[in-house]
Amino acid sequence: MSDDILLKATDVVKTFSTKSMKFGRPNLSTAVNGVSLEIRRGETLGIVGESGCGKSTLARCLVQLLPTTSGSVVFEGTDISKLSRRGLRPLRKKMQLVFQDPYASLNPRRTVGDIVAEPLRINKFGTESVIQERVRELFTTVGLDVNSLTRYPHEFSGGQRQRIGIARALALNPSLVVADEPVSALDVSVQAQVLNLMADLQDKFNLTYLFIAHDLGVVRHVSDRVGVMYLGEIVEMGDADELYDRPMHPYTDALLSVVPELNDTDAPRRERVILNGDVPDPSDRPSGCSFHPRCPLATAKCKEEKPTLVEIRPGRTVACHYPKNLG
Amino acid sequence: MPESPILKVSDLKVTFATRQGPLRAVDGLSFEVAPKEVVGIVGESGSGKSVSMYSMLGLVRDANVSITGSVKFNGREILGLSDREMQPIRGGEIGMIFQDPMTALTPVYTVGWQIIEQLRAHTTMTKAQARERAIELLAEVGIPDPRTRVDNYPHEFSGGMRQRVVIAMALSCNPKLLIADEPTTALDVTTQAQILDLMSKLQETYNSSIVIITHDMGVIAEMAHRVVVMYAGRPAEIGDEIDVVRQPRHPYTWGLLGAVPRVESRNDRLATIPGNAVSPLDIPEGCAFADRCEYRMDICTKRPQLQGDHGHLDACWLTDEQRVSIRSKATP
Repeated sequence: MSDDILLKATDVVKTFSTKSMKFGRPNLSTAVNGVSLEIRRGETLGIVGESGCGKSTLARCLVQLLPTTSGSVVFEGTDISKLSRRGLRPLRKKMQLVFQDPYASLNPRRTVGDIVAEPLRINKFGTESVIQERVRELFTTVGLDVNSLTRYPHEFSGGQRQRIGIARALALNPSLVVADEPVSALDVSVQAQVLNLMADLQDKFNLTYLFIAHDLGVVRHVSDRVGVMYLGEIVEMGDADELYDRPMHPYTDALLSVVPELNDTDAPRRERVILNGDVPDPSDRPSGCSFHPRCPLATAKCKEEKPTLVEIRPGRTVACHYPKNLG
Repeated sequence: MPESPILKVSDLKVTFATRQGPLRAVDGLSFEVAPKEVVGIVGESGSGKSVSMYSMLGLVRDANVSITGSVKFNGREILGLSDREMQPIRGGEIGMIFQDPMTALTPVYTVGWQIIEQLRAHTTMTKAQARERAIELLAEVGIPDPRTRVDNYPHEFSGGMRQRVVIAMALSCNPKLLIADEPTTALDVTTQAQILDLMSKLQETYNSSIVIITHDMGVIAEMAHRVVVMYAGRPAEIGDEIDVVRQPRHPYTWGLLGAVPRVESRNDRLATIPGNAVSPLDIPEGCAFADRCEYRMDICTKRPQLQGDHGHLDACWLTDEQRVSIRSKATP
């Protein structure tokens, strides 16, 4: 793998203003609070976090489906956060999305062949016969029957629909595929089929994935590198195996320790760390380290001083005053 | 175990008459729950795990449903009881926890009102006593400041807190049996840990038995003493948790366990089960799993019965020797 950077985000912030007013001022909720990351060509970057941590918002900002409030996103050498909608258009086809809910992301009134052909038609891929040929090729690639092109989404199972979503995302040979919880709506045996398919496609077309999920096992399985998000911030990032085997941030540590695991070996289990309370409201962020009210290691310093993401080792970053597993 | 089971389900069948023909949602489910035991029912969506529980409790009120078999609760047949006869059992002796705490609670009343209503329906408590008990219960399930929170509405709680309220309600009448249908599926992993922890603690204090329905093998491993693996409305394998997880016998269980991506290690490739779950309108006469099974044989057109020893049963025609040779190849 080369260190060729496909996408580089610097200090991305996204705030939403909610309707309720605080003393006459709009109530600002910071969903993404200063995220910087790089996605290398050909890798899978996994982003993991609990619901409401801002992982989907981050993904949408990175492909500019949502305008960023501040910060820059450089994709293949162009700062796309500064581009107009029109200026973005030629780059859109290089960044494709696979969505969580294969029921909601496919138009129920159109045949699946049409759904996959649409991006090709919009981008004037070629004559109709060239497009039809491409659609058939895509169906074969993702393991669907080419005779089902004229059927409608409701005639397919969840796993097959997700394959259709993947075929549509691949139609224009994108360089970046953003998959937002692509398997969380699927049963475990079907989930495994889709994950294996995504791995095969990555090898075949040298794809780069940004893979967003809340399932820690799935993220480890697919990712080369992993970023852990909490309350709109990346608290830890590193090589997947490294991060899972030796988490540095107490949040990562707690998260990993409570995943229910099959006890099919005699290997000792991680010591369970059960966090108290819930994730705070992003419009009412705690002072200092955002995690301090729930952190078992928090001290007075954590309440006052916000830790920044520092590089402990090349490629291994953590935002904590008292990181674990430093040795 | 010598103690007589608290729940004994024998050959439960739930069939819906549809225009496309009979839909067999549950097709011959049998299992027992001993006192203080936690039994996990695991299966993919559509395998009949929820509908079997709901039909047991008389909560399936479809005019086109036919429910046969026997469900004995504490030695008493409860299948076919009238609503009036079921009322003291549901919510009283059998508590329920549903997947989505937002739909299990009514949004128009305070949580206190809902717990008090249940207490007053099942006990002779006065309003004031019931209110005190409701506050006690909320404290017990770990809701901070219960005296204030008792007058809050469900939408004022977070998802995890709402599930705690539902658990408090389910426990309000000291049930002998708790049925939890995907109690943590809608929750985040840190909240899930809190809830599972709470359920284990309460199970010890209240000495109740639990039937936990889930699609997550990890939750089963965490909670259950015994496991029922369901496929297409039928039990594929039943056994102690440790046996089923470490020495699974049924090819479906092999697939199910191999397909889980793990946090503690990484495999290059996940095991998959080819195809999709069989439609309940179209379950074959023989083994329901045969069409997706790698090890299908001629005999699989006949339906295998649950059999085995030491309480570890499975419904498959493979011989012990065949299984050993398949598994030794699968795990080098």
